[in-house]
Amino acid sequence: MSPGAFPDIVWAGLAPELVMVLGAVFLLLLDVQMKPGVGVLWRSGMAIVVAALALGIWQWMVTEPGGELAFGGMLVFDPAAAFARLVVLVVSILAMAAGRSLFAKLGNRAAEGLALVLLAAAGFVLMAASQNLVMMFLGLEMGSISLYILAGITGDGVRSDEAALKYLLLGAVASAVFIYGAALVFAGTGSLGLTAIGGFLARYLVLSPAVLLIGIGLITVGLCFKVAAAPFHVWAPDVYQGAPAGIVGYMAAVAKVGGFAALARVLLSGFGTFRADWALVVAGIAALSMLVGAVMAIISTDIRRLLAYSGVAHAGFILTGLASGAPGSPSVWFYLAVYTVQLVAAFSVISAVGGAASSGSALSDYRGLYRRSPFLAVVLSVSLLGMAGLPLTTGFVAKLGVFLQAWREDLEWLVVVALLTSAVAIYLYLRVIVTMYMQSPATDDPVEFDRPTFWALGVATAVTVILGVFPQPLLNLVESAIYL
Amino acid sequence: MLTLLVLTPLVGAVVIALVPARRRELQLPLGMAVSVAPLGVAGAVFFSFEKGEASFQMVERMVWWEPWGISWHLGVDGISLGLVALTTLLFPLSLAASDSITHRRKAFVMAMLVLETGLIGTFLALDLVLFFVFFEVILVPMYLIIGIWGGERRVYAAVKFFIYTAFGSALLLAAIIALAVMHASQSLDGALSFDYLALLNLQISPTAQMWLFGAFALAFAIKVPLFPFHTWLPDAHVEAPTAGSVLLAGVLLKLGTYGLLRFNLTLFPEATVSLVPVLAVLAVVGIIYGAVVAIVQPDLKKLVAYSSVSHLGFVVLGIFALTSAGLQGAVIQNVNHGLTTGALFLLVGMLYDRRHTKKIADFGGLASRVPLMAGFFLFMAFASIGLPGLNGFVGEFLVLVGSFPSLPAFAVVAAFGVVLAAIYMLWAYQRVFTGPLTGAANRRLVDLSPKETAILAPLAVLVVLLGLYPGILLDRTAPSVEAILDRIEQTTDYQAPSPGRLADVFASASGEDEQ
Repeated sequence: MSPGAFPDIVWAGLAPELVMVLGAVFLLLLDVQMKPGVGVLWRSGMAIVVAALALGIWQWMVTEPGGELAFGGMLVFDPAAAFARLVVLVVSILAMAAGRSLFAKLGNRAAEGLALVLLAAAGFVLMAASQNLVMMFLGLEMGSISLYILAGITGDGVRSDEAALKYLLLGAVASAVFIYGAALVFAGTGSLGLTAIGGFLARYLVLSPAVLLIGIGLITVGLCFKVAAAPFHVWAPDVYQGAPAGIVGYMAAVAKVGGFAALARVLLSGFGTFRADWALVVAGIAALSMLVGAVMAIISTDIRRLLAYSGVAHAGFILTGLASGAPGSPSVWFYLAVYTVQLVAAFSVISAVGGAASSGSALSDYRGLYRRSPFLAVVLSVSLLGMAGLPLTTGFVAKLGVFLQAWREDLEWLVVVALLTSAVAIYLYLRVIVTMYMQSPATDDPVEFDRPTFWALGVATAVTVILGVFPQPLLNLVESAIYL
Repeated sequence: MLTLLVLTPLVGAVVIALVPARRRELQLPLGMAVSVAPLGVAGAVFFSFEKGEASFQMVERMVWWEPWGISWHLGVDGISLGLVALTTLLFPLSLAASDSITHRRKAFVMAMLVLETGLIGTFLALDLVLFFVFFEVILVPMYLIIGIWGGERRVYAAVKFFIYTAFGSALLLAAIIALAVMHASQSLDGALSFDYLALLNLQISPTAQMWLFGAFALAFAIKVPLFPFHTWLPDAHVEAPTAGSVLLAGVLLKLGTYGLLRFNLTLFPEATVSLVPVLAVLAVVGIIYGAVVAIVQPDLKKLVAYSSVSHLGFVVLGIFALTSAGLQGAVIQNVNHGLTTGALFLLVGMLYDRRHTKKIADFGGLASRVPLMAGFFLFMAFASIGLPGLNGFVGEFLVLVGSFPSLPAFAVVAAFGVVLAAIYMLWAYQRVFTGPLTGAANRRLVDLSPKETAILAPLAVLVVLLGLYPGILLDRTAPSVEAILDRIEQTTDYQAPSPGRLADVFASASGEDEQ
């Protein structure tokens, strides 16, 4: 692109995001003008996401393996970005379907909630598709700010406010760290575009890379914060615990997709030549995350904190795949795709049991859940077993893929650490299952949940099991989502 | 045919799931009926099995997860044949003995059938990931069986069982991954493979063999369980319901010895040869320790549980004797132990259903009230001790004969295990069934019902059959066992000691006990 030339606009590539953002505006206007019921708003929101998913699938099919740079090199429409979008949209559909009761509870703020969900999704998709550190920052902020608001959207209860404030403050620090890193990288390479940075580093030998390395480090720290990898995870348990149950799964899932997509893009396509420098650091963060996640989850007595710490451990597993470089990225994508579905399913069960707007979910509330609602107990068990990586769930395939890749890239020690921590982690998932199946409930009241929740959970569970037994289609799909 | 064998119980579980919950009376009989089907298939497999053949038979292979070279690869050979038959036999019997399971019976039957699929699959899988999948999947139904339908400390026992095995299998998976990656670096096309037959061709350095052997052996040693990894076993056995104990002792423990025999010996022959002393010491310690602890148990079920530690020690000793007779003994002792210990757990369960106690001290002189039960118990105790003419003798004798040429000192010490077995078994029998009849509750005991007799009878028949004519099994296992030894002798400088191969020992050994 020559200076001054009008950037090349690729509307088609951006179509799903346009639908989501315009859809969000539409929902807000609709709310102001017509004051429709929650049902209408929720259906419109669902229709918008489904339309975006349809466009996303179309975009996935037309995407060239090498990708297409657009908007002056700000965005790239490649298979990795297209796949990230599919994951975000599927997760959004599941979360919105299961979160209907939350939006109903929000009353006159339902439209805002739905719009924020759409905006967050669009933001993280843009983050995954950005080829430029500034664009990445914009996507990150668009997604994160929507999530900060969603964390406190019920507006009642100290814990929800606390969660939102904590998330905002620490998230802002992380964003600052990220953008400072981007500035240092600019100082070191003279560019903010990832392709340009990659090209620069491939062409020139950087004699004093200190500034550049600090820059890479700060960007990594900022993004590790977003995906809740240890030691940058401290916000996660509090936020997961305090935020309204109906939306926590969504928050955790999309932030992880966006964060890991960006991390993969920065490290693999921008600083791929520096892998020798960052691989060990990333592997170290991975090992620490797995250890901290597993140990802290075991001593948690609140199921949300437990899932938050298990999320830290999962961030470690995904980083294990990332540390093995570009060949590892299909396994990273497989992992993200299946883990986010399990996460949303698990939190949707929590929302159904504790109430969609609730904060905090003591493990003791799950005593004898099997008797109160066999369906929810089975869904939660399958999700947890999937997270534990038991064979015949997608979790096992995901873990095997990551470990195979890491072992091939000579990170044997990391694989052994990962396997041992996952053996420890099995105990914490079992604890929940023991509580649900082997302890007597305090009350025998059945747990009520609505029809969309039933379908969302049914689909998520079926996916976890069916793709766990026959993962071939998804394996083929992620095989092309590699960073070039 | 093997796929059919693996999947029949699973399909059965689905069928049971569709039976309406209010038709409770249907659930158990239907479960039994479903589990008789694999028994029939296994019978067909057993008798159509080609006797003189060492390689895998009835092999079935389909691509499963293509990019990683994982396939649905099943096959049966002499090592797995007996265990598959044993598994399919024990399921209908233990389901039949599960009348006392009253709550959530449907879920129980389903868990049992899923367990059966997992167990059969583990014995037949020839792809390491497939093996691992089955190996792990077994944990869930077994965990539920102990944790939901078990005794008072069931949750503790179930979690302990799960954690122990999960820990072992973590390292097993690491070793499996290492093998696949090794295959990728050694093969021309750089493809990953988890296929057992392909992995046999790998060139593995002695150091790598040691590590991989260690990882595999740890997973299997926990399953066996080999001393000092046995501490989960008494808890799991005591707390499990009768059916759970029968299958735990009868089949699940065999996964460990089967794994050692199938994978450790053939994939890592160098390491096997150099680690023989370690494994042999653990085996013999297990034999003696298990027996001594069994003697002092006040709880009948715990006594039988510890006797398993001792008996499985014999199996491991036989494996690492690395002689024809030792391996043959190990293979047949696997099956023998499943029959006798299975029957003993069934008997303890029947006694518990009547008296709701397993304490030996609560009983005394029962033989006058329940002569049939006492008879079965004594018979199975004799089989377990190794009375000539019954199956236990064949196995233990072969193990001792097989290990004497290569590990004489160990064989001598292990022989005391047989003496100790006589002490704990007969002393237990004496305290429970002989002497004056004590206690009011014991006076009201009723003897075995026709149904219970019918459950125990097939086991008793097989105990005698294998005792008098072990050739029915040994003829089928011999070629596979020889093939393992051939492989070890070809790939290492190990030579089986002089009377150690089939030609010099086995003929006379089986000849003797037939007379």
